[in-house]
Amino acid sequence: RRHGGVCCQKKKMATISEMYDVGWEEMRDKLRKWREDNCRNSEQIVDVGEELISEHASKLGDDVWIIYEQVMIAALDCSRDDLALTCLQELRKQFPDSHRVKRLSGMRLEALERYDEANKHYEAILQDDPTNTAARKRKISILKAQGKNAEAIRELNEYLEQFVGDQEAWHELSELYINEHDYGKAAFCLEELMMTNPHNHLYCEQYAEVKYTQGGLENLELSRKYFAQALRLNNRNMRALFGLYMLAGRGTKESKCSMKAVEEMLESMQITMS
Amino acid sequence: MGEVELSCRAYVKMYLHACLFPRCGINGLLLSSGSAGGAVCVTDCVPLLHSHLPLAPISQLALTQVDVWCSQTQQRIVGYYQANACVSDSSPTPCALKIADKISEQFDNAVLLMLDGGKMTADYRLPPIVVYERRDSRWLLKDKHTIMLRHWEETQAIAGQMLESGDQALLVDFDSHLDDITKDWTNQKLNSKIAELASPANGNI
Repeated sequence: RRHGGVCCQKKKMATISEMYDVGWEEMRDKLRKWREDNCRNSEQIVDVGEELISEHASKLGDDVWIIYEQVMIAALDCSRDDLALTCLQELRKQFPDSHRVKRLSGMRLEALERYDEANKHYEAILQDDPTNTAARKRKISILKAQGKNAEAIRELNEYLEQFVGDQEAWHELSELYINEHDYGKAAFCLEELMMTNPHNHLYCEQYAEVKYTQGGLENLELSRKYFAQALRLNNRNMRALFGLYMLAGRGTKESKCSMKAVEEMLESMQITMS
Repeated sequence: MGEVELSCRAYVKMYLHACLFPRCGINGLLLSSGSAGGAVCVTDCVPLLHSHLPLAPISQLALTQVDVWCSQTQQRIVGYYQANACVSDSSPTPCALKIADKISEQFDNAVLLMLDGGKMTADYRLPPIVVYERRDSRWLLKDKHTIMLRHWEETQAIAGQMLESGDQALLVDFDSHLDDITKDWTNQKLNSKIAELASPANGNI
């Protein structure tokens, strides 16, 4: 994560409830939606969550604990260690022996770049509970943060041997392979994902991009096939559209990138655009 | 090799690009509206990607589209910038070298600029950049004295001010344009804002 707190030094002019004319229930519901959608809009979560916790904690009932967790993680993302620590302390008081809270302590140490201490936390969790996937993933994240990509890849491969159905892990592995320019292995990961998620247009499109990058007649043929598939699954996938367009030899400076040419090509493939 | 000058507009947009996606590797193209000889004046930049930097199709597409835009607006692509996701390592990746190589095929004095994430804190006094040039078919560090940022303090102040106002949210890179085709990757709105903030006494920024 780049340059810590620079991004969150905005001065607050007014409260969220004043600025957006919302009550605490709407703020709470917004936080829930962001949790459910797994959004990483950390600055927003901190803004809304901090106000909700400081002014309305007593009204939140049991929701308050999951909100503390959500806000804490967002606070770490924004280098707001003060806020993160406040949330963590509340959680520690309420759940003193929890592995889930111990993992949060570990994440705080990671944010402070105290990786060795963080690792000790995760190893303690794994001693107690060897199946704790969250702790294993945090350890892999540390390797990534330290730039130890080869080791992260090795650990993630081992993890996937045990937890072969973990989609998030397969995708993470494909990203690591792409960054290491190991396109063959990235393609393999994406093939796994496409098998288990045949309707996901993003996996088809990413697979097509990897094949394109690998080059050579066979790979370009596969690339074309999967860009087309992505477009059939989602006819608004612009990357798939342009990918197809370039493979059809029309993405050059010399030829005109006219909408008509694109439409004709799509028609020949029987794909309708919205 | 010759001098390189980095304009306020180019620096601020690169900086905001890095700030908009602090957890990702990002890259973009450096442009010049100046003449071909003499010092290379980087007058603008186009932010490109914040995901899957090494993959070919979108990079190629972006290069082509920026090339076309440049020929319509009397600009040329003179370099490439990148910031790595991992703060501890600001050295050029193979994909950075590849794209920079391609650019130098069309422009002799092309520059490769790496943003050093570790040096982008508010209290850092110097420009957080490392610049490379091509000599003997390799990309080597450029002599610091040949890299100029006129009005650096003012540029840094503008960048900081825009960050504080949350203006990085206005920046559109090519990736975002592909997510929403109506968004403008030439960032005209942002250019206007930067020009407004630059003091009128400074003429060419």
